[in-house]
Amino acid sequence: MNAFLQQLRISLKLHYRNKMALIYSYLFPLIFLLAFWVLYRHETVTLARHMGELLTVSVLGGACFGLPTTMVSERERGVWRRYRLTPVPTAALVASTAAARYCILITAGLLQLGLALALGMPLPKHPVDLFIVFTFVSFAFIGLGLVMAMMADNVPAVQALGQCIFLPMLIIGGIAVPLASLPDWALHVSAFFPGRYAVEALQACVIGPGLGAARFDLLALLIIGAGGCVAGAKMFRWDAQQRFAARSGKGWVTVALLSWGVVGVMSEYQGRMLATRPADSPKQAQPSPVSTPALPAASTAPAAARAPEPPPPAPVTLSAAERKALQPDAGRKPVTRTPAPTPPEEAPPARTPPPITTVASWQAVTTADIDRDLVFDRLPSDGGIVTPIAPDDEEPDPDTADHLQYIREMLPSWQPGRVADPVQRVRNILYVAALPDVLQMPVERFAPQVVYERLQQDIPKDQLIRILYWIALHPTEGDDKALDELWALHFPNGPVDVEQTRERSAIYAVKLLGRILGKLPRRPS
Amino acid sequence: MAKVIVRELHKRYGDVLAAQGVSFQIEDGEIFGLLGPNGSGKTTTLECVVGLRQPDAGEIEVCGMDARRRPQAVKEKIGAVLQTIALQDKITPREAVSLFASFYRDTASPAQLLQRFALAEKSDVPFDTLSGGQRQRLAVALAFVNNPELVFLDEPTTGLDPQSRRELHADIAQMKRDGHTVLLTTHHIDEAELLCDRIAIIERGRIIASGPPRSLIAESTAVQSVSLTTARPLEHGWLERLPGVEDLVCDDVTVRFRTAIVSRTVAALMQVLDEHGIELTNLQVRKATLEDVFIALTGDGLPH
Repeated sequence: MNAFLQQLRISLKLHYRNKMALIYSYLFPLIFLLAFWVLYRHETVTLARHMGELLTVSVLGGACFGLPTTMVSERERGVWRRYRLTPVPTAALVASTAAARYCILITAGLLQLGLALALGMPLPKHPVDLFIVFTFVSFAFIGLGLVMAMMADNVPAVQALGQCIFLPMLIIGGIAVPLASLPDWALHVSAFFPGRYAVEALQACVIGPGLGAARFDLLALLIIGAGGCVAGAKMFRWDAQQRFAARSGKGWVTVALLSWGVVGVMSEYQGRMLATRPADSPKQAQPSPVSTPALPAASTAPAAARAPEPPPPAPVTLSAAERKALQPDAGRKPVTRTPAPTPPEEAPPARTPPPITTVASWQAVTTADIDRDLVFDRLPSDGGIVTPIAPDDEEPDPDTADHLQYIREMLPSWQPGRVADPVQRVRNILYVAALPDVLQMPVERFAPQVVYERLQQDIPKDQLIRILYWIALHPTEGDDKALDELWALHFPNGPVDVEQTRERSAIYAVKLLGRILGKLPRRPS
Repeated sequence: MAKVIVRELHKRYGDVLAAQGVSFQIEDGEIFGLLGPNGSGKTTTLECVVGLRQPDAGEIEVCGMDARRRPQAVKEKIGAVLQTIALQDKITPREAVSLFASFYRDTASPAQLLQRFALAEKSDVPFDTLSGGQRQRLAVALAFVNNPELVFLDEPTTGLDPQSRRELHADIAQMKRDGHTVLLTTHHIDEAELLCDRIAIIERGRIIASGPPRSLIAESTAVQSVSLTTARPLEHGWLERLPGVEDLVCDDVTVRFRTAIVSRTVAALMQVLDEHGIELTNLQVRKATLEDVFIALTGDGLPH
């Protein structure tokens, strides 16, 4: 035990004395986070939605590059050969090296999380669960790092091997590119990569329902980590010149690969690779989306309030009344009316607020209310990245067209789209446009047209106008159980940022209202 | 009691036979040297004994234990200095000694070790700032961290400057005085002659001679060297005809040659000088050295 602790202590000390190692393990993840934040800062809770990916990249880099680089360079120098002359068991040395790496990963993760919080990300919903999942993710990738350390004969070989794993996992493994954006074949492949399970499990703890929804992911990470550790132990080499005693030595790498295969087959068997739930057991197979609209006030505040230059496009499209409606409490009591069509921060400071009036129900909405409370000329562009809508004459690619056709056919019978309450019904159908936008799915630009068609078929025009106004001003009202049912339309399940989905629904409501009233062109500018 | 017994050790790397039936025994408290040129198999033999390599065949007993069956127990009893001094660049001597001390049950005080090997002043500087001699002393300190009964030194003075080499020789001599048993591999004949109680000469994976250096020299059939200086130059032909003369070098008044029958050759030489009235100003007869023995046995010179 003393040897384990001493080796752990020295490993950490040496790591903190190595400037390059510090840059790689701590600075790069922060730069990655900052770059992400700078690029997408107009989205209010982007960091929260992508924290799983950001943390996974940090762990992947630290465990699959940092760990094997350290081990291989020490082995090349003969440090491990010298250790072999001592009576300390191999397992103790390897375990202490892995434990040191875990300490480095967890501190890097905490730093990354801390910076994200400082940039305005809400607190993770399940911090303890997040710690547990992070440990599982670290275990899986440290196992992989051990295998790489044993496979590589020298440090350049580590870099080559690392790239072979890192890049595919980033691109088709569900880390850098959202799974929803991948073609089917890539989704099948991603099921065999640990990155997918790492992202899903971490994300479930940041904004999702927590550990309970990530049981399969944890099992997958455990299997992959165990496979890597067993293979790494069996392939262990003390000496840079030492070749594997027998061909079977290198053959142990198949154990690690087998663990990936087992996980992938299990995922395929359960139909997880396409991110859809089996119809017979939907709740077991996929994590349920968050069902409560109550979010911390900081995250529900408009992004414009925190991002001064330039004004973010999405929130500024909402009127002051809409903004007020986004506040958690505002949605639960009669909404105050305000005629100010521009965001509060843009209103002249000396302006006197008009008399406050309220609309008692959606049935009482009048054209005057709409004209007074909604603006249509500052909505996000249909050609932009927030609430996009494809032009009528744009043809989707075949896969997207198939999915759209499926949505079009299923929507009339989709249960949440048939609820008795017309407001809730419209709200539910608008989610069909809003969720692909939030998840940046391939259908995001085309789904709104299908939704608009459906709403105009299903709801009488005068009612629809009033309901859309009502939803625009009351985005946090109603329930969001429909998000749990979107799997039936072949939408991915998993953690969903409910607040953002509601916000996007409100914007789509305004856009449709503008089209119905002739205040917006049918095609995007 | 023998501290190390090696019987019929065999080790092969592909087509290369690094050890072919190597057998030797090291008694308690002695310094035993494995002497041989590079690639002769001495390091392979040492690494098999300390457990760094698995021999293909043979028996190895260390401190009364079967080293192949109980390697961990053996490692508690031994210390070793390998050819390359391998530590992380940024580790300090104090940290290294403390770390290695944590690997053993019975350990020496790190502070005392640093003091003993003259590293106290450098105990908190990074390894990559130490000189070659300081690094080698640290390697020796690490070998002594577990109060070993038996110390293995694999070419410990290779690459050291003369001063560091002398200091390390003194350390090794002190090990013997302290009662440690030492196995030393070297290709420096003078080092083996100076430090070792017994040596084994190893060539192409076989031990071709073993025993105390003086016995090896005495038992050797090696010729002796004769050098002389005269008042006037000698003719080459006179000397060539002397009995037993080999490797004759005549340079004006200085003459050198080798002979296996030194008494007869010198007697004949005196007769020639007397006949020609040439005065002898200097005459030296030098006994065979270990190098002569080695050359006689192997037919090769040693690498330097």
